[in-house]
Amino acid sequence: MSTIQAMSAPLRGRRVGPPKGGPLSNTLAILFSLVWIFPIYWMVNTAFKPRSEALTETPLFLPESPTLDNFDAAINQTSFLVDLRNSLIVVGGTVLLAILLGIFAAAALSRFRFRGRRTIMVVILVVQMLPASALLIPTFMVFNELGLLGTYFGLILAYVALVLPFSVWVMRGFFIAIPVEIEEAARIDGASTWQVLTRILFPLVAPGVIATSIFAFITAWNDYLIAYTFMKDQSQYTLPVWLASFSTPLTGTDFGGQMAGSVIFSLPVVVFFLLIQRKLVSGMSAGAVKG
Amino acid sequence: MTATTAPSPGVRRQGGPGPRASQRKRRRSLAPLWLLSPAGLVMLTVTIAPIVFLVYTSFTDYNQRSLFTGKYSLVGVEQYTDLAADPEFWQSLLRTLWFTAAMVIGSVIVGTGVAQLLTRLGVVLRQVVTVVLIFVWAMPTVASSLVWKWLFQPGYGVVNWLLTQVGVFGDLTNTDWSTHPGLAYVSIWLLIVWQAVPFIALTLYAALTQMPVELQEAARIDGAGEWRTWWSITLPYIRPTMLLVTLMSVIWDFNVFNQIWLVSAGGPDSATSTLGIFAYRTAFVSFRIGQGAALSVITTVILVALSAIYIRRLLRSGEDL
Repeated sequence: MSTIQAMSAPLRGRRVGPPKGGPLSNTLAILFSLVWIFPIYWMVNTAFKPRSEALTETPLFLPESPTLDNFDAAINQTSFLVDLRNSLIVVGGTVLLAILLGIFAAAALSRFRFRGRRTIMVVILVVQMLPASALLIPTFMVFNELGLLGTYFGLILAYVALVLPFSVWVMRGFFIAIPVEIEEAARIDGASTWQVLTRILFPLVAPGVIATSIFAFITAWNDYLIAYTFMKDQSQYTLPVWLASFSTPLTGTDFGGQMAGSVIFSLPVVVFFLLIQRKLVSGMSAGAVKG
Repeated sequence: MTATTAPSPGVRRQGGPGPRASQRKRRRSLAPLWLLSPAGLVMLTVTIAPIVFLVYTSFTDYNQRSLFTGKYSLVGVEQYTDLAADPEFWQSLLRTLWFTAAMVIGSVIVGTGVAQLLTRLGVVLRQVVTVVLIFVWAMPTVASSLVWKWLFQPGYGVVNWLLTQVGVFGDLTNTDWSTHPGLAYVSIWLLIVWQAVPFIALTLYAALTQMPVELQEAARIDGAGEWRTWWSITLPYIRPTMLLVTLMSVIWDFNVFNQIWLVSAGGPDSATSTLGIFAYRTAFVSFRIGQGAALSVITTVILVALSAIYIRRLLRSGEDL
């Protein structure tokens, strides 16, 4: 029967593909979604429970008397605002530097042909693969000598080192996509290299700049390892370190507060991911999968 | 463009390029330099130089005192021979290899399954699954690790409660996952797979949607069953993408740090201590920095070797560098 259907269906136009929406597929999809969303649901669920409902022998699958107390407790923790400010400064610095340095390098590696270009591209690819932990020890020692441990500038530099290869790679892809004719036309009209870059090319790679910003934002916002190692004083913590050290010595871990903190901390990243949903996979394949 | 095509001997004219061409050539030779130098300088000081310094440090006895006094001495390959004689190093290495294998296999199998599932869903359910995947993908590892500890908390953990309700495993209410070597690993494995599936599933799904339907239709018309069609038509089609996501998973899972550090801190008794955890403990807990550097060098060499496969494929795939 399926053979007859397939043969009578027009070959072009309507996409036939595998059967969609069969009961087995639907059941599997629902099961998978439930299992996979469960930890996030449980985080949100706990965040809205009063303490007495968080620690019960039989877990409550919805808070009986939802409360914002946990969020209040998390935000009013002595260091939250300080650490949030630290995070914002470091993230902002990383994003700006990554774009500024990346866009020039990407322009050089895409709009010009020169000796050593290929070598530089391969070095960028290799550097991108280096684990952050390999850079951690020597950077720690050097920053210790230079007095950069515990400073915003030191942390920003460390993050820029992490995101720069990817930024260059992604923005280079956008530069390549710009037809040479546009550049040639501007040159014939007498524009200098600088003018061609800033007036013609940079505006055209805006999507690449956005992709880079989001990547740099997420890397710097999420990093725990480097901040945890470099920033030893609580007043210097960034939010991930703040979150991981979230516990009250006297009453043990305050799970409600910790989950509320996790929600606050994850929210900006989740929003970003949802906003760029459509671009996510193509962006990853442009940047990460393809290099 | 004329600048890039190799001039054949016969075409070359006397007198060389005209004034406009030479002007352009000069511009071409200088602009990349000043465009590249800021980024190059930063990469040199915060990436290339540290890597060189790391290798150098691995040949010294740099320790906690050196951090204050700046004094240390060269000890040759002593740190490496010490490691080779240290059973904990070999255990960590083996553990890292098989942890990585288990995580990669788990996430690639589930990810492939979900990608396949996505092609068989109607619009609404497909959107639901996609949003779920994106939420999970977006979770910062610090947050998900803390959530994990809460899910598996002895006494109040909801997973303990659920497993107890299932009844197959007995009463798990007070099971402390972090103090049992096997269970600690199982919970970390679940965390890694949970978080790795979205990227793999969505990337493979993107590859699957590029596949011309006619290929599968033809196989079906020829009488191939579901499984046979998948194995002989779909799999070969998505194999390059699968290879890439597998290689990337290998690199990521080999590097996993936050999740292990926050969920079990490598415990109990270093039962979940991978090379990364071992190096971190050595360098930043007991401050034997020289030894930690040697460990980092070994880890990096293994990783670069793994990445070399990936980079070579990239270069071969004809990407214009």
